[in-house]
Parts: sequence; structure tokens; C-alpha cells
Amino acid sequence: MVEKKDFRRLDKAVWELPKEARPDMRVPARIFASAEMLDAAFRDRTAEQLVNTATLPGVLKYTMAMPDFHEGYGFPIGGVAAMDAKTGVISPGGVGYDINCGVRLMASHLEKEEVMPHLRDLTNALYRACPSGVGESGRIRVSSRELDELIVEGSRWALKRGLAREEDLAHTEEEGTLPGADPSKVSARARERGGDQIGSLGAGNHFLEIDVVEEIFDPEVAKAFGLQENQIVVQIHCGSRGFGHQICDDYVKSLQSSVRKYGISIPDRELVCAPIDSPEGRAYYGAMACAVNYAFVNRQVLAMGVREAFRDVLQGKVRNYDLYQVYDVAHNIAKFEEHEIDGKQVQVCVHRKGATRAFGPGRPEVPEAYRDVGQPVLVPGSMGTASYVLVGTKKAMELSFGSTCHGAGRVMSRAQALKKIWGPDLKQELEERGLVIRAGSTKGLAEEAPVAYKDVSQVVEVVQSAGLARKVARLRPLAVIKG
Amino acid sequence: MENSWDQSCGFEEIPHTADVALRVWGQDLKELFVNAARGLAWLTADPASICPEKEKSLDLSAPDAETLLVTWLGELIYLNEREGLVFTEFDLEEVMPMHLRGVVRGGRPKETRHLIKAATFSGLSIRPTERGLETTVTFDV
Repeated sequence: MVEKKDFRRLDKAVWELPKEARPDMRVPARIFASAEMLDAAFRDRTAEQLVNTATLPGVLKYTMAMPDFHEGYGFPIGGVAAMDAKTGVISPGGVGYDINCGVRLMASHLEKEEVMPHLRDLTNALYRACPSGVGESGRIRVSSRELDELIVEGSRWALKRGLAREEDLAHTEEEGTLPGADPSKVSARARERGGDQIGSLGAGNHFLEIDVVEEIFDPEVAKAFGLQENQIVVQIHCGSRGFGHQICDDYVKSLQSSVRKYGISIPDRELVCAPIDSPEGRAYYGAMACAVNYAFVNRQVLAMGVREAFRDVLQGKVRNYDLYQVYDVAHNIAKFEEHEIDGKQVQVCVHRKGATRAFGPGRPEVPEAYRDVGQPVLVPGSMGTASYVLVGTKKAMELSFGSTCHGAGRVMSRAQALKKIWGPDLKQELEERGLVIRAGSTKGLAEEAPVAYKDVSQVVEVVQSAGLARKVARLRPLAVIKG
Repeated sequence: MENSWDQSCGFEEIPHTADVALRVWGQDLKELFVNAARGLAWLTADPASICPEKEKSLDLSAPDAETLLVTWLGELIYLNEREGLVFTEFDLEEVMPMHLRGVVRGGRPKETRHLIKAATFSGLSIRPTERGLETTVTFDV
């Protein structure tokens, strides 16, 4: 059992467990946290799960938990691990079930005062335009053949279908298309689950929000991102729905035999993996990339729904109702990237599970418009509190394989939240604070109560203090739609 | 949530920070599998509100008992997502470590508690105990 005392403090917000702490560790494990936050890693299985990731073959440098960490399955949430692309493994448990769950930020040309008189109508229109809830069908249905094209081409497919704009693709991680997608590695059941859910939010912690930019911390970078104080913006948080869940489920099961075949010893069966350069590893990557592309299209189709809702409600009432895309980031993904390790450029497969890419200035993967400042990082907070827009840094490239946090991070189980919070009361409280709420279930609302999460501002302060990203803007919610 | 379905259900919810987890027990593998499925039904909806009018026959195989348990629960999760069914009655003819065959009955609940995405292998190990078998199952929500 790993204990807090085994971790040594390397910096104000960086704690490291040396690899000698457990015989099966191949590299050290690091937690990014304030002294107060660190305790939480030992109250659940976060620290143990983080140490487990440090045992995987080919793991490089050290594995990490971002400050929004909490217990997951296999990897902890907030977990980042980079594997040598030649000798390492790829693990579905390092990506999760909701493959390419992520966040999209769209910005309007409108100020808060122009939208407030129409906020309720706009929220209702968004609720209608963006299906949410358990098992809900999406805005579009595709044939099996179209699905094959969609999961290979990602956002490019949406562009061909008139569901995206060129500039949307330019402002999406990987331009909305992860290479290497192989539909032949996707099961019939995943296809069946995916065919009718494109353009749907789902349930759980997924949401759609209308926010106002409450504070700008870095005016120069905010200008590059097209953000200014008092501006109305929209966030979309969702992933690959049943399609991604099924792919993860399929491969966590099928790779159980791979670990035996390749003689890999793992401390948790959810950490099953296969060598990246093996038929099994390539099959998982090919299927996972399909789900990544599916999720990019899902958010893209929802984004067009958001644009339609803004048009339907605001046409003729405001000067410009259009929305432009600031960025779209993935936070459950495994990707091949080049990073510098001990002065050498190394091809690695970075697993980010509940973590966001945070590339700094100059990287070719960062959209041209942002390349001089670094990529936007979108960090949604808990419902009704605040969200942050950050910018990636050069230090993140050195410290965390260009990764940072993805949200506030839970501290309380759903059952505890339900004991403490009565959904209708919470709804009323949020509405008294001026928020417009549309939710499929008040129980679901209670489970996502702010008290169940860390304070996102504290998480962001740790990230900034460690140098993993810098604050650009804080957003305050005006309307929330939840499944 | 209080477990009001039945005091002797053979499962209890245990704390998990973000997802949901159950401790499940049974006299033998068959009872363990049934109790895990009852736990899943309880997590998904109020089982008392379900009229078990739809029936499905299942025939599942897996390389070991843990994988079979994940496959069994995964099948019920899949049927919930595709057809909206929550299963509350289980007639299992055969539950071997590598094979399960039987009939499940369920219906559509009025309200859903959790959208369960998947049953995971996280910490999953079927252990012998004084009263039979026990395991914990973590569900991704």
C-alpha cells in the first residue's frame, strides 16, 4: 500500500513517488497538487491506480496525476502516461470507455446584455436542438456505409455533409480527424450502438452551457483566442456515446488474453494492454481512432445545432447571432506524439485519461492562429460554478508531455451527493442565482452538484503554479443543459 | 440510495468517487451472477416499478469467470441502452466459469437512476468466502 509519506515534494505543487517504492514500478509516479489537495489521492484509490500505471511496459520518464485527479478504473482520472512507441504498450484502460470525451468552446459576437432578454428561449431552443439523456438518439442517423466514412474521416466527413465549416476543423484538436482509424476493427455491436447517436449529449456529467466571459487574465492571448470580457460563449461537453463504450468494452475483454500471450504482468485487469507494435495493439488503436473521430463528429453536429438555435431565437433581434469555434479538445485519448526526453526526440504514445493536451507555442500541432501563443485548453468546472480557458506552455512540454487537467475532479461519490443534496432544491437554488437549468432528471442534477467536486479555481491555480498551463479567461454559466 | 428492493438482495453499494461500485455475494457462481444483475437493475432504476413483460434468451461464453461476469453484465447494459429494458428476473439454467445460459425478464422503467456505460474489470476478482463467493464490480457511469 502506497502512503502519502512515500511521496517527496519536488516543487510547490509537484510530488513524486520514486520507482523503488514498489518492486513492480518501472518509473516514478508524480502527482500535481497543493499540499491540501494531496490527501485526497490517498482517500480513494487514486495513488494506487497511479502507481499501477508506472508498471506498464515501455512507460517513459514518469506517470502523472493532474490536480483534478480521482479514482477511476485502470488509470486514475487525471492520469497521463507516455509509452515508447516502439517498445511500449497501449491500454484501453488508459483511455476509458467514453473515448474522446471532450469539450468544445464556441464564441459569439454578442455581449451578455444582448442575450439576457432571450436567455430562457435560447436555452429551450438548445434543449430541443441538442438531444440529451439516457439512450437518446442523435440529431442525425447514418447508414452503415456512411458510418464507415464518418469514423475514418471524422470532422472532414461533417464538412462534406455541410455540417461543419473549414474554420471549425482548423480549430479542433487533430483538425477533427485522428489518423489510423480502421473500421474493420470495430465490432458490429459498436456500429449498431453508434448509428443513431450522432449529435447527442448523453447523460452523466455531460452538458451544454451558455456562459459569459467574466474575467480576462491574459489580454494578449485572449485576443488571439477571440475572447473578451462580457462576451457570450457556449461550451459542449460530450464524447463518443455507446459507440466508444462498446469499443472499450470489446477490447478490455479481448486484450485479457494478450497480456498472457505477451507475458505482461499487470496489477489490475482493467489495465490490460498489448504491445503498440503488435496485431492486438494495432487493432485497438485502429478501433479507438474510429471512436475519437466519431466523438469529434458528435460535437460538431451538436455545434451546428447550437448555431441553428441561436439563429432561430436571435435572428432579427441582435446584430450578429453567429458563433465561431475557439477550440475543441479531447480528454480521453491515446495519441502518437513526438517529445523530447533526455535531449532526444522520441516518438511516444501518450495516454490521457481525464487530461487535456496543453501544447505550448511553436508546436506544429497547434492551429496556425494560435501557434505563437500556445493551444487553448478548456477546463469546465462543476455545474453552476466557473470554467476556465487556459493556454498551453513550453514548460508543460518538459514536465507533462504537454498535458494538463481537464476539469474540477470529483471528491464525493454520487451516492453521497444524493444523500446530501435534494435535486429540486439544488435546481431552485441555482435558478435563484439567475441560472437557467434544463435537466432530464433532478437526481442526475443532484449527483453533479458543485459540492461533489473540487473547487475548479484551486485546480487551475495548481496547474498555473506548476507551469502546466496559464490562465487566460474565466467563464461564468448563465444557462445549463444536462442529460 | 437506500437498498429498498429487498434486504437480502446479495449486493450493496460501496463508495467510489466518480463511478458506482457494488459488493456482490452468493452461495455459488449462479447466485453471484444473479445478484450482480439484480444490483445492476437497482443501480439503473427502481426495480419495484418494472413489469417484467419482455423476455430474452442469453447464451454467453468467456475464457474465465470474471470475464464471463463482465460479459453477462455488459449484455444487460447493452439491452438497456438499445431497448430501454431493465431486467429483474433471471432464470439461469447453467452458470459455469466459462459459460452461461438462461432467460432474463424485464421491462421499461418510468425513471432511470444511472446511465451505466459499462461493467469494468477494475479490482474485479471472484473470491471464495465463508458464505460462498464474493466480488466487487465497478460500473462506469
